[in-house]
Amino acid sequence: MADTLRTLADPPSAPAEPKFALRDVVVTRRTASGETITATDRLTFEVAQGEFVCLLGPSGCGKTSLLNVLAGLVTPSSGEALLDGRPITGPGPDRAVLFQEPALFPWLSVLGNVELGLELIGVPAAARRDIAQRWLANVHLERWADAQPHELSAGMRQRLALARALAADPDVLLGDEPFGALDAQARELLQREVQRFWVESDDRKTFLFVTHNVREATLLADRVLVMSAAPGRLLEEFRIHAPRPRDLDDVLISRVVSEIHTLLMQEVDASVAREMAR
Amino acid sequence: MEGSLLPRPRPRSIRLMVDASKSAADEQLSELALTEEEKLVLAKVAEILRKIQFGTVVLVVQDGKVVQVEMAEKFRLR
Repeated sequence: MADTLRTLADPPSAPAEPKFALRDVVVTRRTASGETITATDRLTFEVAQGEFVCLLGPSGCGKTSLLNVLAGLVTPSSGEALLDGRPITGPGPDRAVLFQEPALFPWLSVLGNVELGLELIGVPAAARRDIAQRWLANVHLERWADAQPHELSAGMRQRLALARALAADPDVLLGDEPFGALDAQARELLQREVQRFWVESDDRKTFLFVTHNVREATLLADRVLVMSAAPGRLLEEFRIHAPRPRDLDDVLISRVVSEIHTLLMQEVDASVAREMAR
Repeated sequence: MEGSLLPRPRPRSIRLMVDASKSAADEQLSELALTEEEKLVLAKVAEILRKIQFGTVVLVVQDGKVVQVEMAEKFRLR
């Protein structure tokens, strides 16, 4: 039985150098009325190479700001954000980002969208079509290669965005509520696909998604970092050692979901109370 | 709300539990006459319990055998 007992309880040994390291990161932004808002307040955490991390928090807690820092789209007001030990100074082809609304080029075909992504990172023309077709097949869109994005359903468009992101073979996939706008079935399908691609990457690729969906975070991540209401701080971390693909009905998963849900609701109640007291 | 209806707080690890009443634990164990398989499972569980402070451990049983041990660990960061 010793051979068949699969133990998922041993945490993977932490590598010497993390993929991402954030130290006391503060992100502020200015509203239209000129008010300065602190989006995240001294956030410190690390993400190891090959990890799947989900940042979870109530809306307005600075999740997107934080993801933008990692993507290189926003510079923190203070603190440091490192990628492979070096400060993040801007976006790069090593980090693909999936947004809630897939940013597809409407005038290009489905295949053309994936090919353009490859062209931008300098993949030779001869190889582009092959790689693009392989990735379309990976997300079950090969039959739609010549269609325009507007002919696809929302779920198919997001699958296309995922294919385009992963075709470029990035080290990191960042997701900002990537499945937030999808119907339940499309969302489930994409969650399964993402789990599959992450597993197939065999610890080479680091996935970091921000979401306010507790079930999604728990289903996908090795580690769920729960943030407070604005200004975002880290409250708790959950390390989940369960096999993939996971099912929401799994005892461990549903138990963690309910625990995080309780924590988040306390946080939301507290923040409403703070607002009322102002 | 805190009263007799709530379960008593459980010891944090196997080690503590055994230390608490060594003879009773030994007696129970010898009565059980554990098989090698069962010992392996219990050893694994004990190993996990010694590592974690807060969390959940799930044993997945198929056809009378533990086929998988899953675990979620919780850390307070604030």
